[in-house]
Amino acid sequence: EKLGFMQYRQPPGKPELIKCRSPEKETFSCWWKPVSDGGLPTNYTLFYNNEGEESFYECPDYTTAGPNSCYFDKKHTSLWTIYNITIKATNEMGSNISEPHYVDVTYIVQPNPPVNLSLALNKHTDGKLYLLMNWSSPPLADVRSGWLTLEYELRLKPEEGEEWETIFVGQRTKYKVFSLIPGEKYIAQVRCKSDHGEWSKWSSESYIHLPKEFRLKDMMVWVFVAVLSSVICLIMIWMMGLKGINMVACILPPVPGPKIKGLDAHLLEAGKNEELLSALGCQGFPPTSDCEDLLVEFLEIDDSEDQQLMPNHEKGHPNKNLKSGNKETDSDSGRGSCDSPSLLLEKCKESRIPPAEFQTPDFSETQVKAAGKSSQETQNRDPELKLPDFNSDGVKSSTWPGTQLASSQIPKGSYHNIVEVCKVAFSAMNVNVSAIRMGNEEKHPSKYSKNIETICEGEMTQRRKGESFHSKAKADQALQWLLPNEKSPFLSDKPMDYVEIHKVNQNGALAVLPKQKENSDKTEIYPIPGTTKEYAKVTRVVDNNVLVLMPESRVQGMPVFQEPPKESAQSLHQSQAEKNMSYCLTAPSEFRLQTGGLEYMDPNSFMCSFK
Amino acid sequence: MSTAGATLAGLLLVILLVSNMFLSKKGVTSSPICPNGSISCQVSLGDLFDRAVKLSHYIHSLSSEMFNEFDERYAQGRGFITKAINSCHTSSLTTPEDKEQAQQIHHEDLLNLVMGVLNSWNDPLLHLVSEVQTIKEAPDTILWKAVEIEEQNKRLLEGMEKIVGRLHPGGLGNELYSRWSGLPSLQLPDEDSRLFAFYNLLHCLRRDSHKIDNYLKLLKCRLIHDSNC
Repeated sequence: EKLGFMQYRQPPGKPELIKCRSPEKETFSCWWKPVSDGGLPTNYTLFYNNEGEESFYECPDYTTAGPNSCYFDKKHTSLWTIYNITIKATNEMGSNISEPHYVDVTYIVQPNPPVNLSLALNKHTDGKLYLLMNWSSPPLADVRSGWLTLEYELRLKPEEGEEWETIFVGQRTKYKVFSLIPGEKYIAQVRCKSDHGEWSKWSSESYIHLPKEFRLKDMMVWVFVAVLSSVICLIMIWMMGLKGINMVACILPPVPGPKIKGLDAHLLEAGKNEELLSALGCQGFPPTSDCEDLLVEFLEIDDSEDQQLMPNHEKGHPNKNLKSGNKETDSDSGRGSCDSPSLLLEKCKESRIPPAEFQTPDFSETQVKAAGKSSQETQNRDPELKLPDFNSDGVKSSTWPGTQLASSQIPKGSYHNIVEVCKVAFSAMNVNVSAIRMGNEEKHPSKYSKNIETICEGEMTQRRKGESFHSKAKADQALQWLLPNEKSPFLSDKPMDYVEIHKVNQNGALAVLPKQKENSDKTEIYPIPGTTKEYAKVTRVVDNNVLVLMPESRVQGMPVFQEPPKESAQSLHQSQAEKNMSYCLTAPSEFRLQTGGLEYMDPNSFMCSFK
Repeated sequence: MSTAGATLAGLLLVILLVSNMFLSKKGVTSSPICPNGSISCQVSLGDLFDRAVKLSHYIHSLSSEMFNEFDERYAQGRGFITKAINSCHTSSLTTPEDKEQAQQIHHEDLLNLVMGVLNSWNDPLLHLVSEVQTIKEAPDTILWKAVEIEEQNKRLLEGMEKIVGRLHPGGLGNELYSRWSGLPSLQLPDEDSRLFAFYNLLHCLRRDSHKIDNYLKLLKCRLIHDSNC
């Protein structure tokens, strides 16, 4: 290597002692700073003189403590004496001696760092979590005999923190730390000092990750908040209930029903509205109370050969009539005009027929049950009534309990309570069909039936008014349900005639118009009180999704209902010629006549005589 | 001016002494467990040793500080250290010089040595207090430390005598003692010589107090904790 001219081949510089240290007060080492060697290899020698002795000794060990050092082992170490140390640097050119250094081992003690720093989390007696720190004295220090007395110092900080927290511990080798943040990761170090010496270097870092503390206090706060909010909610709901605020209506406003153009549903709602009725041109409307029975249609499934007409004078309990087993055939099929569909629909919606209560149309018990079970089974398989299914395949007898029952039982002339049928249909639309129970008609409240009647009538009226009114598939389906499809074995194979319901006179008789001329004869068989023919009951449902109406039995007597079912099976076809024969219902009374046969209906015929 | 300064220093010293009586609770003095030395009440030997070790540790801390202060202030560049070789009056007492020697010596002998050194320092300390005030512009810290050391040393001596009385009721026998004759040097008119005298005295005080502290800690671990501190 190239050296400066001045540095070339010169005697060495003056050495200088850097420091001397004793780690355990039994040995010590000294280090010196190498000097400029003048380009020549330099030899260092250390001489020391012990206090009280004359002679100088040379360093006993130049290697143990590293380069440029001298290590004094135990033999060569005396306490409470002053060492006079000099270092001599020698090279070819000369030598140089350092200044004397006076060293008393007593005051140069600096121990090695403590070892085995361990961190552990423990639980205090009161449940508090604390950090227990444990460490050991450095290996060389003799603390046990008391020769060396060490004092320790800790420092802690979170991993992300900047400042250390220093804790003086004293002579113990363990410490408990309480004030730590849960969930944090901490770094810890420890160092020691001889009782009168210098601090050691910090030990290597130890880490600990504190777990997130689940404090009961925090959980209690949340529990309290939850309970309080739930109590407040309950109070609010209760108060709203008290005030009668219908939150459901607020949140989910009812869907407005379809409105007939020109017909104000609200007017109809009011009940007997003379003005409206007069406007509609109906006369003698609304029918009196005794006409309730006329509007109550009984659907009866005949399980026997008997064709019996159901007396419908039991207005309040049409179901019972069916149950009584009186089976009457009603060869007539009629159709009745219904109330304003919107009105009926609205009422239906309000009534919200619960599925549990819904009951199939009245059928004879035995037949109903027998068929009901089978239909129920099918329905149970498919609890969710799928409305589209109706449309696709028409009215499936399996999905319509009424149809199924009827199919199995009714040869002819069974009375079917259109109301019930309609109810079935409508409820099935709205609710799960599986809820439909058969054979529970006796429990069926009359009011309930009336509500359904309104719905059904509304649906049917709507249907009759034409496809344009059918904004809802429901209506279609309802009506479809009401009427057995072609495949439905519900009815006999006998062709039926359909009549159009003109109106219901004050006697509660339905005025129906024959659909076909061939039926006209038949229709005439049924005496109609008043000027028009009146059919009060639906005997059966034709597979054309048509309800067969029967003339009123109450007034006419039994013979009227003795008509063979085939005759009564008349689809409700309205002849376009009969325009004024529409039957108007205004009040949500028992006058509910459901008619099927959407395809057969002429809206005009059902229209109240607006003209 | 000197008289005014001396008066002030004296007044300060008096105040220090008075305050020392009330405020000298530096962890060294403790309320006596056995007041009036009643026979029935006995402090355990461990407690005696704890007190003794505390005192010796404290004394050495004070001595070390005092020496460093003095060295910084008065002894820089004077080479006092070179002259302070074998100049302690207690060097006649052969004491162990390393751990092996200290562990080999019998505890009675060690106790004897401790007592001898302590006794030997009674007199010097007393004069130190009186003479250090004569140092020009002696800082207060040095002054009160001298006073403190002297005070505590007496306490330590009493404690050690109790310990010896416990361990060896008949007494130790050899009363070791080194007489100090350095007072005239503290009163030398030559400032430099005087300062060196002080330096030497403080240097020896530091060393001997460390010795006593070390020996007592050894004895404590050996006698009380069975060499398992």
